[in-house]
Amino acid sequence: MSAPEPFFIGWAKRPGPGLGRFLAVAALAVLAGLPLAGLVLGGLADDPADARFATMPGAVTLADLPQPAALRGLLLEGPTPLLHLPADAAHPRGRTLLLSGDGKVGGPFDTAAAHGRMVAVDGFVLRRGSIEMLVSGTPPVLLDEPAPSPPAAEPLGRWRITGEICDGKCAAGGMRPGIGLAHRACATLCLDGEIPAIFVATQPIAGHAVLVLADARGGAPLPAFRDLVGRRVTLEGAVERRADILVFRAELP
Amino acid sequence: MSARHQPVSWTRAKKVYDLVLVAGVLLYLSAFLDIGQRLRDPATVLDAQSLAMKAYGSCAFILLTIALCIGPLARLDRRFLPLLYNRRHLGVVTFLVALSHALEVLGWHFDFSPTPRLVAMLSSEPAIGAAPGLPFVPMGVAALLILFVLAATSHDFWLGFLTPAVWKWLHMAIYPAYALVVAHVAFGQLQSATNPALALLVGGGAALVLGLHVAAGVKTWREDSAIAAAASEPPWLLVGAADAIPDGRGMTIRPPQGDKIAIFRDGNRVSAVTNLCAHQNGPLGEGLVVDGCITCPWHGFQYRLEDGCAPPPFTEKLATYNLRRVGDALWLDPRPNPPGTPVAPVILP
Repeated sequence: MSAPEPFFIGWAKRPGPGLGRFLAVAALAVLAGLPLAGLVLGGLADDPADARFATMPGAVTLADLPQPAALRGLLLEGPTPLLHLPADAAHPRGRTLLLSGDGKVGGPFDTAAAHGRMVAVDGFVLRRGSIEMLVSGTPPVLLDEPAPSPPAAEPLGRWRITGEICDGKCAAGGMRPGIGLAHRACATLCLDGEIPAIFVATQPIAGHAVLVLADARGGAPLPAFRDLVGRRVTLEGAVERRADILVFRAELP
Repeated sequence: MSARHQPVSWTRAKKVYDLVLVAGVLLYLSAFLDIGQRLRDPATVLDAQSLAMKAYGSCAFILLTIALCIGPLARLDRRFLPLLYNRRHLGVVTFLVALSHALEVLGWHFDFSPTPRLVAMLSSEPAIGAAPGLPFVPMGVAALLILFVLAATSHDFWLGFLTPAVWKWLHMAIYPAYALVVAHVAFGQLQSATNPALALLVGGGAALVLGLHVAAGVKTWREDSAIAAAASEPPWLLVGAADAIPDGRGMTIRPPQGDKIAIFRDGNRVSAVTNLCAHQNGPLGEGLVVDGCITCPWHGFQYRLEDGCAPPPFTEKLATYNLRRVGDALWLDPRPNPPGTPVAPVILP
C-alpha cells in the first residue's frame, strides 16, 4: 500500500509512513510534559501554614510540650473547653490549650461540672503558630488540689475583623492545609462534632493571628455560623483577652 | 473490528498507547508527590492525603483536557488521528484517577466523623444562596458520576447495544463533565489559592479546549458548507470529474438533505457509501482503500466497495449509493440503498 499522506490503522503492525516520528514526539511530550507539570504543580502547592499562622512579632515563643503530653492545669468552659496551664517564667500569662477528642469529636470534657477545677489530661499536642490544642480520648481526671482563680476576661473593645472560620484542630496541624475553602467540608464536620471553632484573621489583632470564636453571647458559634465556614468573611463583635488567648464574640452579619 | 466482543482486542498500537499513558500518569504522580516535595522547604510540606487529593485531582483534569483536545486536533491535522484511536482507554484511566481523588477526599475530609462519609459529603455544603459562591462538592460528584457512566459504557458492546448515534450522543456528556470539573475547581480550591499555578492550568486548559474546538469547527464548516450541485436529471447530483478522485482514496459530497456521502476509487472502480462508519460514525471519506476495502481513519474498520459490507467474519454494513458515469462526469443518486446492498461499481476507462 502506498499513500500520499500519513494514514494510521490501529490494528496494523506498524504506523503508516511518516507517522512514526510524529508519534514518537507525541509520546515523548507525554512522558516529559506530564512529570514536568507534576513537578511544577507539586512544588508550587500552597504553603499549608502560611504567614497567617506565624507567631506575631513580640508574641511569646512557645516552648515545646512533651509528646505524648500529660498536662495538669485549670479546666475552663465557654465558648469551648480550654486547659489553662499556670504561669511560669517563660509564659507570664500562662498557657492555654484548646481541647478536643479523637477524630472529629469535641471530646469527653464536662466543663460545666469541672470549670475552674484543676485536672490532669493525657493526650497529644497539636500546634501551628500561636494556636495549641490538646487532643485527648480520655476524660480529664479531677485533681484534689486547690485551684487558682480562672484568668479574668479583659475587654479589648469592639472589632470588625476579616478572616476565616475554621476548626481549631485542623488549623492547629491536624491537617496540612487545615484552612481554605477546599477544606470547608472537613471544617464543617469538625465544628458539627463540637471541635473548637477559631477565627484566622487576615491581619493580626492585638498581636494574635488566631482567635477563639464564640457567638455574641459567648456560646458556641455553630450552628448559627455554619454557612460561613471556610470562606473569607468580615465579622463584627467584642474581643476579650483571656490569659494568653483572644476570644472573638462575633455577631452574625 | 468486531466479530464478537472481547474485554480488550489488543493490538500493538493499543499496547504502546496504554504503556505511554500509564507511564505518563505514574511519572506525573511521582513528580507531584515525591520529587516536587523534596524541592520545598520542609516546613511547608502538605500532609500526604491532602497532597494526594491535589495530585490525583490535577492529573485527572490534565487527562480530561488532553482527551478533549485530541478530537479537534485530529480534525485540524490528520497526524493526530492515531491519538484518537484508543481514546476510550484514556477516558477510563481519567475516570480511575478522578475516582482516586474522590476516595482520598472521602477518606480524609469526610472521615473520622460520627456522620457517615457519603452523608457528610452530601450535607456539609451550604445551600445555594446561603453563602457567597456556589457549593463546589456537588459539581465534582456530578462530574465523577458522568465520567463513571462514560467509562462503564466505553466498550464496543455498549456501542452496538445503544447504536452508534445514541452512544455518541451519550458520550457528548464529556463536555458538561468538563465544565463541571472547571467549576468544581474554580468555586473550590481556586477561591483560597495563593499560588497562580492551578489557576493557569485550569484557565489555560479550558481556553485550549475551547480554542481548538472553535478552530476545528470553522474548518469543518468551511469543508461542509458546499452542497453538491444538482445534475440535469433529478434527483441525481453532480459529483465532478470521474478521474478527480485519487486512486485508493475517497472524497465526500454533501447532498441537499442527510449526511455526507463518501465516494471511493480503487483502481478503475468507483463506489459510493455513507460517510458514517458503522462503528462510531467516523468520517469514512477521510479513509483509504486498503486490501480492496474502504478503511476508516478512526479505528480501521473495513468495508467492501461493492456492497458496503465488512469482510467475513465481521458483520458491519454501510448504506450504499448508486453512481453513474455521464461523459467524463460522475453522477450520484442521493437516495441511500439499504445497508449492505450490492451496487456495481462504476468502471473508469
